[in-house]
Amino acid sequence: MSLPIIPYLQEIARLEWLHKFFFVRTAPLVTPSYSRGFPELTNKTCTHALFCMMACPAPGAIDVIKTPDGWEPRIHKGHCIRCGLCVEACPNGVLTSGRILESMFNDSTRLSFSFRIDVDTNLCMGCGNCAVACPVNKLIDTQMAYGGRASTDQLLLKVSDGKCHVLHAELCTGCKTCENHCPNEAIRVSRLLEAVQIAEVEP
Amino acid sequence: MNVLQSVKNLVRSKSIHVAYVDVGSCNGCDIEVLACLSPRYDIEQYGIYVHNNPREADILLVIGAYTPGWEEKLHTLWEKIPDPKVAIAVGNCPISGCLFNRPHSLIDPPVSKHIPISAEVPGCPPRPTEILTAVLSVAPIVFKDYEVSKR
Repeated sequence: MSLPIIPYLQEIARLEWLHKFFFVRTAPLVTPSYSRGFPELTNKTCTHALFCMMACPAPGAIDVIKTPDGWEPRIHKGHCIRCGLCVEACPNGVLTSGRILESMFNDSTRLSFSFRIDVDTNLCMGCGNCAVACPVNKLIDTQMAYGGRASTDQLLLKVSDGKCHVLHAELCTGCKTCENHCPNEAIRVSRLLEAVQIAEVEP
Repeated sequence: MNVLQSVKNLVRSKSIHVAYVDVGSCNGCDIEVLACLSPRYDIEQYGIYVHNNPREADILLVIGAYTPGWEEKLHTLWEKIPDPKVAIAVGNCPISGCLFNRPHSLIDPPVSKHIPISAEVPGCPPRPTEILTAVLSVAPIVFKDYEVSKR
C-alpha cells in the first residue's frame, strides 16, 4: 500500500514549483495599443484652425503654440482628461490617440460644431464690451475694432435699446472672448458638438 | 554601508504601506485605486499594502481637488504619518483641479500648496498601472538609505 501523499510531496518538492510558488508575478501589464492615451503628434502640418481648443472640455488642457517650424498643439498633462475630442475635431489629423483616427476613417464620421450664444436680459446692462471684444465683429466692421459704434447690421453681436442682441449666431467661432469680457456674466457661449456621418469621400 | 541599513532597505522595499485620502474627487480615481487591489493588477504581490491608517503608512495617495472641508484636516493627517513619508497626487484634480477648476467652484487646487507632493500621476482617471508605476518608482528613491541621506 502506497501513501497517496507521496506523489504530492514529490510534486511540491520540485524546485521549479517552489520558485513559482514564492516568486510568482502576474504577467507584466502593458498598455494595449487601442488604449486612448494622451494625444500625440503625427507628422501632418497644423494649420492653426484651433478646432482642438474649441472641442476640449478640460480647462487649460491644450494650447496651439507657434514654434520655428510652424504651429504645434501642446497637450498639458495634469489637465488633459484623454477624451480624444481634439483628435476627432482636428480637420488635418495632426493629433492621434489610440485608434480614434482609424475608426473615424472606417465609419466615415466627423465632428460638426455649432455654437449657441445666450444673453441673460436681466443681467445684461448693455455696456457693449462683448460686441467690441468679439474678433468676428472686428473683422466685419473695422470701426468696432477701435471701440467705435457699429456701422452695419451684419454683426454677430450688437447693442441696441440698452441690451446686447445676437444677430448672426452662425458666424460664431466659439472663442468665448465675449464671456471673458462680460463684467456681469450675462453672456454665455455653449458648444454643441455632434458626430455626423458623411458620405463616402474619395481617399 | 552597515548591515542594519541594508536590512532596512530590504524590508522597506518589500513592505510599502499606503493610505489614501479623498479630498473631494468624483470617485473616479478612487475606483482606479481600488482596481489596483483586484487580482488583475494585484498590488500586494509588489509588497504594497493598503491600510488607510496614516499612523502606519509610508505613502499617502491624495485624490481630489481639495475642497474647503479639508482646510486643516489634510495637514493634520500628513503630520500623523511617521517619517520617512511621501505623498503622491493621483489624477488631474490634485494637480490642476481638472474640470472642476472653473469660476465660482469651491476648490483650492493644487494640493501641493497644502502638503508637499513628491509625485504626480496625470490622467482623468489614471490607469491602475500608472498608479502602480508611480508608487513603485517613488518608493526606492525616498526609502532607500533614508537614515544615511537624512544626515
